[in-house]
Amino acid sequence: MKEFWEKALLGPLETLSRSVLSVLPNVLAMSIILLVGLAAAWSIGLVVERLLRVIGLDHLTNRLGVNAALTRGGVKADPSHLVGRTVYWLVVAFAVLAGLGALNLQPLNQFAQSFLAYLPRLFTATLILVAGYLLSNFVSQAVLIAAVNAGIPPARLVAACSRWGVQLVAVAMALEQLSIAQNIVVVGFGIMFGGIVMAAAIAFGLGAKDLAKEFLEQRLSNKSRDRAPDDLRHL
Amino acid sequence: MTAAATPLTPETEAKVQEIGETDVLVGIPSYNNTDTIGHVVRAVSAGLAKYFARSRVVLVNSDGGSSDGTPEAVSRAVVDLGTLLISEQQSPLHKIITPYHGIPGKGSAFRTIFEIARRLKAKACAVVDSDLRSITPEWIELLARPVLEEGYDYVAPYYLRHKYDGTITNSIVYPLTRALYGQRIRQPIGGDFGFSGRLAEHYLEKHVWESDVARFGIDIWMTTEAIANGARVCQSFLGAKIHNPKDPTADLSAMLVQVMGAVFALMEEHQPVWGGVKGSNPVKLFGFQYDVGVEPVNVNVDRMISSFRQGLADLEPIWREMLAPGTVEGLLPLKDCPLQAFRIPDGLWARLVYDVAVSYHHRVMPREHLLKAFTPLYLGRTATFVLETQGLTSSEAEGRIESLCQAFEDRKPYLVERWGAGRE
Repeated sequence: MKEFWEKALLGPLETLSRSVLSVLPNVLAMSIILLVGLAAAWSIGLVVERLLRVIGLDHLTNRLGVNAALTRGGVKADPSHLVGRTVYWLVVAFAVLAGLGALNLQPLNQFAQSFLAYLPRLFTATLILVAGYLLSNFVSQAVLIAAVNAGIPPARLVAACSRWGVQLVAVAMALEQLSIAQNIVVVGFGIMFGGIVMAAAIAFGLGAKDLAKEFLEQRLSNKSRDRAPDDLRHL
Repeated sequence: MTAAATPLTPETEAKVQEIGETDVLVGIPSYNNTDTIGHVVRAVSAGLAKYFARSRVVLVNSDGGSSDGTPEAVSRAVVDLGTLLISEQQSPLHKIITPYHGIPGKGSAFRTIFEIARRLKAKACAVVDSDLRSITPEWIELLARPVLEEGYDYVAPYYLRHKYDGTITNSIVYPLTRALYGQRIRQPIGGDFGFSGRLAEHYLEKHVWESDVARFGIDIWMTTEAIANGARVCQSFLGAKIHNPKDPTADLSAMLVQVMGAVFALMEEHQPVWGGVKGSNPVKLFGFQYDVGVEPVNVNVDRMISSFRQGLADLEPIWREMLAPGTVEGLLPLKDCPLQAFRIPDGLWARLVYDVAVSYHHRVMPREHLLKAFTPLYLGRTATFVLETQGLTSSEAEGRIESLCQAFEDRKPYLVERWGAGRE
């Protein structure tokens, strides 16, 4: 009976405890790495945020119109805080990966390596999305003002199309960077963009042929516009 | 600090050496003006012969690389002094025909003229546009003599114009310049000016020749620079200004970007000067004033009002960013009022222009967007002016411009307060 107890119950328990004991230092190391990493993330994030405030990043981005674009996009925080939080989460991500690495488990190590290799792509895709968003705001504002000054009635529609066009390009580029269904993205984007251009061309051809005719006549024959007998000299 | 000398071509250098010194120099910037420049050169030559017969005189044509034979037209243009009953000219007229270096534009052409004036130690200078059809020999006397004999540094032109001619000048540049700097210069961007050799040297020393001043905005820059530096300023009555029409397809919003951008940039530079100025003073006007028929100007008020209303419908969020809340509220009733009741009152317009200047200064949005978004507002104000002055003569309409200027002066404390405050 005693032999049964030793072989059937205590044996596996002993093996298990040995395994646990062998992993325990790694778990301890992971915990320390995580704790130190979190502390480092908090302090580095804070230092970066303070430093950016001191060198006047918020003032600079304000002058460039970035703050207004962020507010329009529903982001209330200022750029210094955003960069500080981004740095915080990056350090946390590194700490988690390093911690998992300390466990020395093959699948986790592979995951960490893949994730690290993927980080530059993630970073580039994020940059593309942010730049695309800011550019779309700039372009749509410029298009709206130009369309109003040219007296085009659906000015807001034209501006909205330009905004979505730029954002669409940015999303397609970001997805391509992330290697997500590359072919589908490229083909999908091609079909959608081609479709939009074709729809616009058909709509213009059918709905605004008189306008196109008038425009071309003015351009080619240099005729004055009948509807604008205006010879104001502004200067 | 003295700016580096502006490079001249070897031929021009040689010509300058040969001439030595001069009393009066007249500059004509040009670019493909073969149709009109002959008349301008003849008028200048006659003016110099008739009114500065005993002075050493030089005519400078600063050309931007014309391909239509403009320099040859300048060279060919001679005036028969006998038929003008001028027999007294004692010193010959020297002509310098030179290309200019640098960024293409009227400003770079002027820079070369200033440089030649400096090297020739000119006492009095004048510049006139090369597309003028109404220039007479008297213009040269009126632009140069106040400098040569009365001790003035800067002579601004004073033209007779149709009440609807020069609407950017009438509704923005004149009232704003007058309220800012306290000098009533009626045509601050006229294009034809007289100035002393000393002032030409001052212009040369400024580091603006790689900026927009070299391309456009030279007219308002010269006027503002003269006033802000305490130069003695006067005006000369030149009669009607008739010149070749500018490119009819020229974009109004691009024009506003150029003119208002230049005015606002100068406001930033000279804030210490205009910040303390209150009210305005008349500026001495030389010349015999007379009335003359001016070319009629057709206007389409409906189109201007519909442009304004489209702006109000589509650009309201942008206007709310660039204007103070009270200003936008003042515009809202114009959305659906009857056409004959459409008015942007003087006080509201003055506040509006000041708001745009402040937004330009605080960079609330890309500056080009800001100035282009101003176009429908400007058209709304122009429509107001046309509706208010229908049936008035040009001189009666001038009374309306005077009350607009008063509104700008009265509201200047609002500008000073908002300019100094941080971005809201």
